[in-house]
Amino acid sequence: MEKKLGVYICGGCSIGEGLDLEKLSLVATKEYKVPICKTHPALCGEEGVSLINQDIETEGVNTIVIAACSGRVKYDVFDFGPSNIVERVNVREQVVWSHDWTKQVQVKTKDAEGKEEVKAETKPNEDTQMLGEDYIRMGIVKANKTSLPEPFLEEFTKNILVIGGGITGLTAAIEAANTGYDVTIVEKNSQLGGYAARQRKQIPTKAPYSELEPANIQEKIKEISNHPRITIKTGTEIARISGAPGMFDVSFKQAGTKTKWDVPPPRKKEEETGEAKTEEPVELPADQIKCEDILTKDTDAERFGVVVVAAGGRPADPSEFEHLGYGKFANVITNVMMEDAAAKGKIIRPSDGKEARTVAFIQSPGLNGDDSDFPYCSSVTSMISLKQAKYVREDYTDGKAFIFYKHMRTPGVYENFYKSMQNDEGIFLTRGEVKGVTENADKSLTVEVDDTMIGENIAVNVDMVVLATGMVPETRFDPVINLAYRQGPAFKDLELFDGYCDSNYICFPYETRRTGVYTAGNVRQTMTNGECIEDATGAALKAIQCLESTNRGMAVHPRSGDTSFPEFFFQRCTQCKRCTEECPFGALDDDEKGTPKPNPTRCRRCGTCMGACPERIISFKNYHVDMIGSMVKAINVPDEDEEKYRIVAFVCENDAGPALDMAGLNKLKFSADIRFIPVRCLGSVNTIWIADAMSKGMDGVLLIGCKYGDDYQCHFVKGSELCNKRMDNVAETLGKLRLEPVRVQQVQFSIDEYNKIPEVIDKFVKVIEGVGFNPMKGF
Amino acid sequence: MAEANVIKPDLEFVKKIMNSGGESLKKCYQCATCSVVCNVTPEDKPFPRKEMIQAQWGLKDKLFSNPDIWLCHQCSDCTAYCPRGAKPGEVLGAIRKLSIEHYAFPSFLGKAVGDPKYLLGLLAVPVVIFLTVLGYLGHLRIPEGEISYAEKFMPVLAVEAIFIAAALFACLGFFAGVVRYWRDLKSGAELSTNKWQRMVKGPIPVIIINTILEFMTHRRFQKCEVTKDRSNAHMFVFFGFAGLAIAAVWALVYLYGYEFFGIKTSGIFNFGLSPYPLHDPMKIFANISALALFAGILQVIMNRKNNAEKAGNGSYYDWLFISIILTIVTTGILSEVLRLADIAALAYPVYFIHLVFVFFLFAYAPFSKMAHMAYRTTALVFAKYSGREDKKYS
Repeated sequence: MEKKLGVYICGGCSIGEGLDLEKLSLVATKEYKVPICKTHPALCGEEGVSLINQDIETEGVNTIVIAACSGRVKYDVFDFGPSNIVERVNVREQVVWSHDWTKQVQVKTKDAEGKEEVKAETKPNEDTQMLGEDYIRMGIVKANKTSLPEPFLEEFTKNILVIGGGITGLTAAIEAANTGYDVTIVEKNSQLGGYAARQRKQIPTKAPYSELEPANIQEKIKEISNHPRITIKTGTEIARISGAPGMFDVSFKQAGTKTKWDVPPPRKKEEETGEAKTEEPVELPADQIKCEDILTKDTDAERFGVVVVAAGGRPADPSEFEHLGYGKFANVITNVMMEDAAAKGKIIRPSDGKEARTVAFIQSPGLNGDDSDFPYCSSVTSMISLKQAKYVREDYTDGKAFIFYKHMRTPGVYENFYKSMQNDEGIFLTRGEVKGVTENADKSLTVEVDDTMIGENIAVNVDMVVLATGMVPETRFDPVINLAYRQGPAFKDLELFDGYCDSNYICFPYETRRTGVYTAGNVRQTMTNGECIEDATGAALKAIQCLESTNRGMAVHPRSGDTSFPEFFFQRCTQCKRCTEECPFGALDDDEKGTPKPNPTRCRRCGTCMGACPERIISFKNYHVDMIGSMVKAINVPDEDEEKYRIVAFVCENDAGPALDMAGLNKLKFSADIRFIPVRCLGSVNTIWIADAMSKGMDGVLLIGCKYGDDYQCHFVKGSELCNKRMDNVAETLGKLRLEPVRVQQVQFSIDEYNKIPEVIDKFVKVIEGVGFNPMKGF
Repeated sequence: MAEANVIKPDLEFVKKIMNSGGESLKKCYQCATCSVVCNVTPEDKPFPRKEMIQAQWGLKDKLFSNPDIWLCHQCSDCTAYCPRGAKPGEVLGAIRKLSIEHYAFPSFLGKAVGDPKYLLGLLAVPVVIFLTVLGYLGHLRIPEGEISYAEKFMPVLAVEAIFIAAALFACLGFFAGVVRYWRDLKSGAELSTNKWQRMVKGPIPVIIINTILEFMTHRRFQKCEVTKDRSNAHMFVFFGFAGLAIAAVWALVYLYGYEFFGIKTSGIFNFGLSPYPLHDPMKIFANISALALFAGILQVIMNRKNNAEKAGNGSYYDWLFISIILTIVTTGILSEVLRLADIAALAYPVYFIHLVFVFFLFAYAPFSKMAHMAYRTTALVFAKYSGREDKKYS
């Protein structure tokens, strides 16, 4: 594409008052010889937009640089179609709104009598002007280095695979199928329904949320069995899922069996470094079937576009709490055993089949002042105890159900359910610390509870004790998805979240770190039937969104609609595998030699691979190492004698970027010595940019990204963390160059901390002032 | 493990509370707002929070063997501020009713008075007694001539015999109940894992006198906020009753002073047979007392109506008691008015009703809400005796 640049500078929103627009234009026309540069008092108005449109039509302008407000606003106004490149230069929020327009200067003048006097005079602030000009320079350079992305398009399928035939899986399948997609549902058991089919009644799913409801799972099973768009595979498991969104190749197998299409264990480090010597039969049992490499194609595999994982969970084993007598006394059971018993008929004691008229429910193991509930407990286990207490009352008019809890959690509308259950005169509730369960001669049990609301330590004699144990997500035990990915068959970092699948839990539910694989129900969080249904519906929608984005060559999340994808200049690849290893989404599978095999539809376009690559051979059409490097170099670094510092900041465009805009919006002032360059993610920051900045004579580099660690906020999960790891190397390099390591710093920033922007920036500027100018300035 | 404190929650007792005006009992979730807003509770182990969970768990013995349910004056501050609508005031009222029933002697009367289906039967007792007497005397029709209840209808001797018998019966009931209650209170205090400090405030008679003085001033009652007018209403009823009791004794002095000692009318004091002239000091005193009682009970009804939204509607047990007093005072006043107006056809039946209801009040006092005077006194005395009494009242 032959580029013709047009630079348009807006004078509205105080930009014209804070900056000298003429001088800004000169940057474009004189320094960069941009053929067309225009200013307008209100570019976003009808007249301003038509001015640009006119140039597109008559002058053939196709690369438009707009120096006005933040690119986060008015993007609809400045949309000139897919065939034109638009670059927004933010001179409003990040220049005139956050910096002083004038400053006081001491000027020596002579009065009429020739006497010298010193006067304070107000002059335009040259620092603010320099800042604006630098942003124009960077904008022009960036526009010059951008090309239009061409979407990655293939023959994609739109079929949806749902793993798990419980209430979540069934709902997801029905919802997706009713929207017009073909769905295959896989259940490893011979029957559909999961735990929901084993319930006597369910926690309410509709208003007024106060009474138990008959379980409606059978209706769903009936609906799914007759659905023309749904294929059911019971007694089936996933051997492997290879490929990528839009073209997942799924090998099924009979549940509990092993096949050669099972995913081989990840390669060991020494294997990776050596030449293609994989499969060592030594570590495998004699009957072990040799698994095919992940890149081998199973011709019998079925193709799916997207996967919804609704694998549910398994009941936790409470044997570890010996004082409760589970496993020791026949009449101490778990809530799952209770549910099974209740579904069969009247509640009876397992020891002798005698009617269980008084039942104690234990919510928290107690002992030694420990406040925690059973592992994997939640509001759901609280509500299950309430529900099962009601069973006792349904079965026996003189039935008594005691619930001993540390926490009774019935959030939101479920308060109605709590109230209703509590209102039953035979349900006795108290907070308390369970001291122990003992068995009496007649197999009845005595539960001792300390520190109750009754004001003393009590004990009750009961026929049966039910422990409110939690559901452990299936992903804790089994990869379930068995991805033929080089990073391994399972979801990542499961151990950080007790086996629950995770990816920005609050902001992006259903998403996982495997693009095109969505989770719903109990693999994500313990849920009631009603919540499972809601969750399944959400996941089905996300799956459809993924299909329809992939189909058009667009990223799904969080860069929805982005059609760029990483391109590799393989001739220069050293097969170091850093990209394969660091990609937070496992988008790359290296082959036997270690050459990365990109899977564009798995990619979220964060650019972490680009940041990782030491050879800098990974680039996007509109985002690459050279582009940002050139932007850094475009910044005008004043000579040392001008006494002005220059700092470049790479800013995460997801959270820190918006925070900067908000700071501007709130007219918070900060140093004009710093230039911000938005990056897709700190993970995409290639250390060469830091070197570029230093050799250009910049005095410091600041990296502003998301919080990382347990409560990470990174949109790409690992970006800011990876960047931080690379910082160690940077410090080392700086040391070698005899530059102070403090010149390069990374800060963790949360989107709601915009008011701390001046503090963060000015603090860094102070640090730089402390170490002085970059000695390499001017070289 | 050490000896476990095995409790036996009584489901039937929970249901009883809920059927006796405490139907909101189970709504309590133990936030203790009630105990915080209560102005009459001691600060240590305050009520009614703990009573609420004891009641939810059907721990009858704990509730009964503790004076706290009677330290409560049902101000209903707790009910008004309860975030769950659990109405602790109403619940404690129901528990007090069950406590009266529990200590009732004979116990079947305890149940009968609290249950609307026995109301007619209970009323039938005095009706039959009085009809029998009237039948025996041949007074079963409206007498002619100037109205005189004593001479032409129900002789004083008969009235006294019946009422003294009823009163003795009531006293026996009270005695049996209070003795058992005191015993339980003592054992409750001893068994309790949270023994109160024993700060005995002197000999029991002194404590009793202190307690009675406290009644006279309604010192506790005045701490109520939501239903602060109830204190005044109760004061009227209380002193109305006291006045009428004094007037009754005074009348006996007139009657027997004349009959046995031949004392004649002297000055303003009209010794002799009833009716006594309206200007007689005893008559004036009696009439004022009756009017006070009438005004008091009307206020009680009005207060209850006005506070219903905040304090609850009250139970059958409450309203039975109020209705009895209202009937007694209205028929009493009407009997006098109708006698003076000389409307015999109405006067005698009204007087008959009056007698029936006075009997009801007397004979069933240990089983009706009237029993509060005995049990609350006992509880307050015990509270002072055991050191349960809060400092602010001592």
